[in-house]
Amino acid sequence: MSASYTHLSCQLLLLLMVCRHVNTKNTTVITEPPVETSGPNTPPVAPLTPLQTGQKSVVLTGENHTEKVEVVNPVTLNLECAWTGNNKRLPNITGYWTKDGKTIETSYSNIQLQNGRYYLRREFSIMNEEDLGTYSCIFDPKAKVDFILAAPYLGEVRDKPIVSYVGDSVVMICKMDEKKPKPLSWNWYKQNGTNKVKIEVDSPGHRYKITKDEKKAKLVVHNLTESDSGLYYCGAVYGIGTSVGYLQLRVITYFEPLKPFIGILVEVLVLVAVILIYEKTGSKKDDQSGAEGNPDQNTNQLHGENAAADGRSSTRQRKV
Amino acid sequence: MPPPATTNLGYTPPDGGWGWVVVLASFISIGFSYAFPKSLTVYFKEIQEYFGVSYSEIAWVSSVMLASMYAAGPISSVLVNRYGSRPVVMVGGLILSAGMILASLGTSIIHLYLCVGVIGGFGLAFNLQPALTIIGTYFQAKRPLANGLAMTGSPVVLFTLAPLNQFLFDSFGWRGSFLILGAIVLNCCVAGSLMRPVNKMAVPKPKAEPAEVNGAEDAAAEALRIEDNPKSQSCVHRFIDFSLFKHRGFLIYLVGNVVMFFGLFAPIVFLAPYAKHQGIDEYSAAFLLSIFALADMFVRPATGFIGNTKWIRPKIQYFFAFAVSYNGVCHLLCPLFSGYTGLVVYAIIFGIAFGMVCALLFETLMDLVGAKRFSSAVGLVTIIECAPVLLGPPISGAMVDTFGEYKYMYYTCGVLMLLPGIFFFIMNYYNYKKLEEEQKQSASVEMRTAEDSTQQKLVQKDDLTNETEK
Repeated sequence: MSASYTHLSCQLLLLLMVCRHVNTKNTTVITEPPVETSGPNTPPVAPLTPLQTGQKSVVLTGENHTEKVEVVNPVTLNLECAWTGNNKRLPNITGYWTKDGKTIETSYSNIQLQNGRYYLRREFSIMNEEDLGTYSCIFDPKAKVDFILAAPYLGEVRDKPIVSYVGDSVVMICKMDEKKPKPLSWNWYKQNGTNKVKIEVDSPGHRYKITKDEKKAKLVVHNLTESDSGLYYCGAVYGIGTSVGYLQLRVITYFEPLKPFIGILVEVLVLVAVILIYEKTGSKKDDQSGAEGNPDQNTNQLHGENAAADGRSSTRQRKV
Repeated sequence: MPPPATTNLGYTPPDGGWGWVVVLASFISIGFSYAFPKSLTVYFKEIQEYFGVSYSEIAWVSSVMLASMYAAGPISSVLVNRYGSRPVVMVGGLILSAGMILASLGTSIIHLYLCVGVIGGFGLAFNLQPALTIIGTYFQAKRPLANGLAMTGSPVVLFTLAPLNQFLFDSFGWRGSFLILGAIVLNCCVAGSLMRPVNKMAVPKPKAEPAEVNGAEDAAAEALRIEDNPKSQSCVHRFIDFSLFKHRGFLIYLVGNVVMFFGLFAPIVFLAPYAKHQGIDEYSAAFLLSIFALADMFVRPATGFIGNTKWIRPKIQYFFAFAVSYNGVCHLLCPLFSGYTGLVVYAIIFGIAFGMVCALLFETLMDLVGAKRFSSAVGLVTIIECAPVLLGPPISGAMVDTFGEYKYMYYTCGVLMLLPGIFFFIMNYYNYKKLEEEQKQSASVEMRTAEDSTQQKLVQKDDLTNETEK
């Protein structure tokens, strides 16, 4: 935390110089990524470049509101809450800020009613992953606005396990939304016990293949074995930190689908046998009783021959 | 007027009894034929990633399967003409199953095209044609109802397969799912085993019908022919009946249907994307398709029932023309439905329209050509319809891409349905008139020959009695 405070003082100086030129908007999003001069494999930009400043304002009319803020690079963020007040409309109330549930001690302040609203503002410097989290401004009775600061979420990650087979290969893909900022790079990790082990392409056996492009990272694992089952993480690296999505892989043998297959096969054979036997026995009964209505075509000709003598009479009967 | 059953078929169809079991069997077969290609789309995303191909390449699997099913129609017809429905359906089930099992071992996208697409499509064709044909052999008076019920198989099986496929995919991945689907489609063999050849009683089924006048058949000539040896069939009918191309009703049906099929399936394919384009979220857009399928499901048997009533049955062609035109009007009005409620209403109306057309689709063909030639007719129709079925959605897709808007595509589809509808009205009016004339003519001919033949028979009987007396 002390490091961030020294950073804060540096920035205050910078801000005083840069402030006038920075565009502070009153409403939605901000954070423009800095100009990329380095390639995607180099580590995040050093904090010597002038920091972006952003502003996020929320007007609270009820008791609760949640606002998601996407942070891509280190930034100095001005958060502002404006509360319209409750029935009482006291001229003075107290408000404070919390981060991840813990009160920020120095943030207690008295708030005057201004233009029908209570304003609570604070500046936060978001430098690294630890600074991300939920910042809440709380107006003393009950009103609260939560700002959830996070790196861009990985949207299109499959939440159910990916199933594959022993000896087969599997393709796992992590994609960042088109509209969201591009990550600097991608990393893949596998869960080994309680550790996250980074997957390197040149691991023994050449079983892993990683393909990366700006919006998408693909991990291909060849020659699967059952020990390859488990959790895999894909990380999208941004200036502020890594946004992680997880995928679960399940490797099974061919025997698993074979069981329902054989079950259904047996069912079909039994049904077909029953139907055909029922038909045969039904036709045998008819044969024995000598009645007409015989579904078996073989006996039709016999019948036809017998009926030749009274053929004419039967045709006459059947005239429309 | 539809041809009277007894004179045309040579026997009285049961119109019930085991016939209803056959309807159930056809329900299953038809259901698999139409719903199976559509339900495979659940697997496409994973297969696409696995093989590293684009979405359109993977979508071709469904298209190849549908095309193969339609193209194999004539082969299926030939086999049904020769061997009857039951063996063909059972073989079809086996082929389809083999195709899916081979596909589960696939190593490339071409492998899938061949196994799922071509082999699977053949299996489906061997299910579709016989299932439709056998209904015609079991039903005459209640045939529209039977057809409507059997065609309900398509939405019902789709409704069942969609969540089932999702479950299989989550549990077993695409390979295991294909293997298990290979077993599930073997139930087509069960359906096939239920398709008992209809009992024709003492009379063998006379197949040779050279240059048959549409519908109107000479009863006396039929009676004389009955005593022929059942094995002497004309060579043409052992294979396929190309004389259908001279059949007026068949030609009307063919021309109208080919145009209609261009615009029939595209609106369904684009319903969800159109909704998303209007800003509706993915789940609600998918729900629209479920609403459509539900409306479809209930309308099909209802249409069959209505088609069976004594007011509609004689002029069922007009009912079909009405259904087709209604589809056209529905699409033309589609751009007026805006917002989610509007689209829900459109989905319901479209579902009703589509269900009506599908329920009557094959009933009208049976009505025009008669149950005996239906097998050949449907084979010829499906292979010619192959082109519009395949080309319809991609052309519509191209239209959407060029104009950037869906409404032009809907207008086009509307026109493509409305024109055949009007065409059917006019041409069937003309056809009904001609049929009436021909019936009057043949009735007078029949009277004359009946008199002649009864005289002949009386003479013969006298001879016989004289002989026995001696």
